[in-house]
Amino acid sequence: MKAFHYINFILILLVLIGICIAEDLVVSSSLKEVQARCYEIEALLADKDDLKNMDITLAIDNLEFIWTEDEASMCFLVNHKNIQEIGQEIAKLKLYIPANDIDAFKVSLEEIKFYCHSYLHFMGANLHNVL
Amino acid sequence: MLTIIIRSILIYLIVLLVFRLMGKRQLGQMQPFELVLTLIIADLATIPMAEVSVPVLHGIVPLLTLVVLHFVLTLISRSSQFISKIISGKPVIIVNPKGIDYQAMKKLNLSTDDIFEALRGSGYFSISQVQYAIMETNGKVSVMPKADFSPVTNGDLNTNAEDSYLPIVLVSEGRTLKDNMALAGLSEQEVKSIITQNSEGSKSIKDVLLLTIDKTGEAYLQMKKGAGKSFQSKRLVQE
Repeated sequence: MKAFHYINFILILLVLIGICIAEDLVVSSSLKEVQARCYEIEALLADKDDLKNMDITLAIDNLEFIWTEDEASMCFLVNHKNIQEIGQEIAKLKLYIPANDIDAFKVSLEEIKFYCHSYLHFMGANLHNVL
Repeated sequence: MLTIIIRSILIYLIVLLVFRLMGKRQLGQMQPFELVLTLIIADLATIPMAEVSVPVLHGIVPLLTLVVLHFVLTLISRSSQFISKIISGKPVIIVNPKGIDYQAMKKLNLSTDDIFEALRGSGYFSISQVQYAIMETNGKVSVMPKADFSPVTNGDLNTNAEDSYLPIVLVSEGRTLKDNMALAGLSEQEVKSIITQNSEGSKSIKDVLLLTIDKTGEAYLQMKKGAGKSFQSKRLVQE
C-alpha cells in the first residue's frame, strides 16, 4: 500500500512536470511564431504604400491559419479569454485590407505584437508572476 | 451547456480521486493542514466547472499540486516530531486533577461552555467526574474519567468473557458479497443453506436484507420483509 502511494505521488509529479513543459513549449512557440509573422508583415508593409497587394493578403492569411491552429492547442493550457484578442486583431487586419486603412492596420499589428509579448511575459514562472 | 455538464463530471471524478488519494479521514478527524487543503480543493473545483473559457487543466493542476503537497506534508510530519508539532500542533491537557487549566483554555481560545460541551459529548456531565480531558490535534476532546466514574469492564469483574469478533456481512440488500464470503471461508451454496435453514418466509437471497456471521458462528439474518433474528451457525475456520 505504501509503495502504491509512492507510485501515485511520482506519477502525479510527472504529470505536473509534463503539463508545465508542454505549456511552456506550446505557448512560447506559438506566440513567438505569431510575433515573427507580424515582423514579416511589417517588413512587407515598409516597402509598399498600398495594403491591396497579394504579398500582404497572403501573409495575413498565413498568420490567420497559423493562429487558428495554435489557438486550438493553446486553449487546453491557457484561459481562452486571455488570448482571444489576438484572433480579433487578425480579423481586423483582414478588414483593413479592402479599406486600405494603413494606420489602423499598423495599430492592429502592434497590438498583436504587444499581446504576444505581454502574454509571453505573463506565462513565465518568475518572481513577478508568482507574487 | 453540454460542455459544463462534461466538465462537471470530469472535475467531480478528479476531486473524488484526489480525496481517495488523500485518505479516508472524516471532516472532524482532519488535522489543520488537511482541513485547509479540503477547503481550497472545494473552491478550486468550482472555477473550471462553470467558467468555460478556463481550461480544465487550470483546475486539475492545482488539485494535483495539493495532492503532492499533502503527501509531502504527511511524509514530513511522520518523519519529524518537531515538524509534526508545527504543522498539526500537539495535544493539550485542558482538564487535570486540579480542575480546568485556565492558561491552556485561554491558549486554545476556548470558553468553559466549549469544555462542558465537549465533556457532555463524551458522556460526563460534571467536571468532578473527569480526571483528565485532552484537546487532540484534530479538535476532538478525549476524556479520562476519575476511577469512581469509570465504566466497569469484564476485566474488573474477572468474568473471563470471550473476545468478540467483527461480524462479516455475507448478504446485503439481496446481493452476496463474494470477497466477504471468501474471507469467511463459505461458498454461495453454504450461504444459501444458512438462509434456507433460518428463514421463515422466502428462501431466496434476493429477499435477504442482511446476513452477517462472525468467527464464533454467531449469525444475524433479516429478510426484507420481517424481523431480524440471531442464531448460532457453524463456527468459521478463517477469521
